[in-house]
Amino acid sequence: MVLKSKWSAVSLALVLVSGMGLSACSGNGGGAPAPSGEASSPSPTSGAASPKADSKSEIEFMGWGGDSEKAVFQKLIDAYMKEHPDKKVKYTVVPSGEYYQKLDTLIAAKKTPDVFYAGGAHFNKLASSGLLLNMDPYLEGNQTIDPDNVWKQGLDRYRYDGKTVGQGSLYGLPKDVGPWALAYNKDLFDKAGLPYPSAKAGEYTWDDMIADAKKLTTANARGKIDTFGVAAYSTESAVWANGGDWIDYKTGKVTIDTPEFAQAMQFVADLSLVHKVSPSPDDEKAQNGYARFVAGKVAMFPMGPWDQPGFWNVPFKWDIAAWPASPNTGKTATWLGSLGFVVSKSTKHPEDAFALASYLSLDRESQKQNYELGQAVPNLVDMAKGEFLQMDKAPQSRQVFLDIIEDYGRPPIEVNSKSVKWIDTFWQDASQVWTGKKTAAEFVKEEQPKLQKIYDEDNK
Amino acid sequence: MTGYRRKEMLWSLLFITPPVLGFLIFGLAPLISSLGLSFMSWDMMSPAKFIGLDNFGKLAQDEKFYKSMYNTFYLLLGIPLGMIAAMALALMMNRPLKGVSLFRTIYYIPVISPIIAVSLLWQWLLNYDYGIINEFIWKIFGVQGPNWLGDPNWVKPSFLLMGLWGGVGGTMVLYLAGLQGISSSYYEAAEVDGAKRWHQFRFITLPLLSPIHFFVVVMGVIGTFQSFSQMYILAADGGPEYSGATIVYYIFQEAFKYFNMGFASSVAWVLGVIIFILTLIQFRFSKRWVYQD
Repeated sequence: MVLKSKWSAVSLALVLVSGMGLSACSGNGGGAPAPSGEASSPSPTSGAASPKADSKSEIEFMGWGGDSEKAVFQKLIDAYMKEHPDKKVKYTVVPSGEYYQKLDTLIAAKKTPDVFYAGGAHFNKLASSGLLLNMDPYLEGNQTIDPDNVWKQGLDRYRYDGKTVGQGSLYGLPKDVGPWALAYNKDLFDKAGLPYPSAKAGEYTWDDMIADAKKLTTANARGKIDTFGVAAYSTESAVWANGGDWIDYKTGKVTIDTPEFAQAMQFVADLSLVHKVSPSPDDEKAQNGYARFVAGKVAMFPMGPWDQPGFWNVPFKWDIAAWPASPNTGKTATWLGSLGFVVSKSTKHPEDAFALASYLSLDRESQKQNYELGQAVPNLVDMAKGEFLQMDKAPQSRQVFLDIIEDYGRPPIEVNSKSVKWIDTFWQDASQVWTGKKTAAEFVKEEQPKLQKIYDEDNK
Repeated sequence: MTGYRRKEMLWSLLFITPPVLGFLIFGLAPLISSLGLSFMSWDMMSPAKFIGLDNFGKLAQDEKFYKSMYNTFYLLLGIPLGMIAAMALALMMNRPLKGVSLFRTIYYIPVISPIIAVSLLWQWLLNYDYGIINEFIWKIFGVQGPNWLGDPNWVKPSFLLMGLWGGVGGTMVLYLAGLQGISSSYYEAAEVDGAKRWHQFRFITLPLLSPIHFFVVVMGVIGTFQSFSQMYILAADGGPEYSGATIVYYIFQEAFKYFNMGFASSVAWVLGVIIFILTLIQFRFSKRWVYQD
């Protein structure tokens, strides 16, 4: 029973080490919208490129998502294969948490799929490692795609000029654009006798929000706060609105130690610490903001277009508003997420792979279906500004989504990083501010050198 | 005769080939490549670059490495706690009680429950506002219980509690086997000499269980250094202020979240060496206190 020799100890230790890398298998994934509900059978129409004529090919397409997203894509792909009988598409779905692990392993094994999802920092890493197909020649040689009818902010996310993301040649097509908006519970505003926050940027300020939130926050009979004015207020929105930022990508300097940044961060922390209108980190642990909002216990809460199906089922009326503006600048801001379809540089059938990517990204029928399911804002501008705005489901002020895309939405912090470790570290350490252990000003001063070091190490 | 021998040799080789191949491919090869990788920088996309000892230098300055190391050592406290609890249980279960096998089964159930499911259950039990544990504390003592998984000071005690609950059954079975292996003649002799129950326990039971103690300690140390799943479920992103991250969790994050394969390999090797040294020390000391018959 007892290990007898030194060597068994040696081998035990060794076996442990070798098993370590393999033992763990899933991670935290990005939030891809997962369509739900039944999809009507789509039929491919123009808007997308057509594959090379008279040649057989098999394209491997890898994505992530739940069962419903898989069903939608499978239908799209079946329709595509029906229209192009000599083109085969092999569709693989990976659970979102394991997606990038699987992708990177396939890349390392030189078995990169032809078409796959990529977004954020991972797109940057792929593009800068030279693994993606430059789509410019395929786009130029194509008559059916009108790039002017695709959100510039969505396309620019997949441009890379050899140094930065956002300009240069096209290396991907958007799967979606995700404006991060602020939803509010109309019933709670009505009950408190308050006017709804404005859908126009700049009209509703931080101070207005705090004043409203104080009136919206109510305690239950035991004296514990039961309904909060606001939850999960976006720190990005506050910082950018106030004129601060996390980093200056041109110089590679982490810029969290500015007064604008600290002030904005303190504003977010004080919503809970001073004004008591937002759940504290402890409250969040017990029940998160999302659960509280759908239960009608939070008046204002951020949402993306993919949250619509979930919010269509709540027992109260709701709409979206512009993010409150900083009183110091009069401006507001928020982030605009996106995920894209990219093509591997090593694909054997670049035309066909591009054709599939453009079909998935821009096909009118699939775009229509996507927004009807409440998954996304259409990638096609005319559709978004036309029928999408006319849709008769909440939120009524759909224009807010478009304003964010066109006006005050910004790429997430990570877009020009190759590794997000420095950003993760920031959020981990930021809990000291949310819990009131440190003021924002103290925190950012201590944190800046630490983040700078991590950023420099990982993003050279 | 030689033909027969040769044939037998051939058969024996055939039989040992699968495990040997398995070890070479899935054991030794990754081991060697991870050693190589620990001197390189590799993100799985661009070709690996040799960077000498840079990974180890970076490691020595990384705050998260020390934090996760400290957390892991802290969790070693669970071993003596578990041993005491398991031994107490085993002593109780070793008596001719009615329904003793039922009790043994109940205590053993956590051992065979899948750790992910168990972790999710504990997440609810330990909930700050709605958890049954804090509810219990409120009902009995009239005070608000701690924010188990949300407070950096309570995350590790929560893991200890979970580990105790989950591990005590397995250790108890080991101790039961040990107790039943002690010949009753020792106790009879001691009784004749006038030894009280406490003395019998102190001078007979405890020392004769020493091979079990040793086994539990060695396996416990190794198991603690490998703990990962509970942290992965209960302490997203390492928990508040990285208070819940263990060293394996840290390796996992570096390897499969940030894809710093080279750096993760170097941490894995440091961990391997630490476990190796600790185990050697234990074997060395075991000669002083482990009774082998």
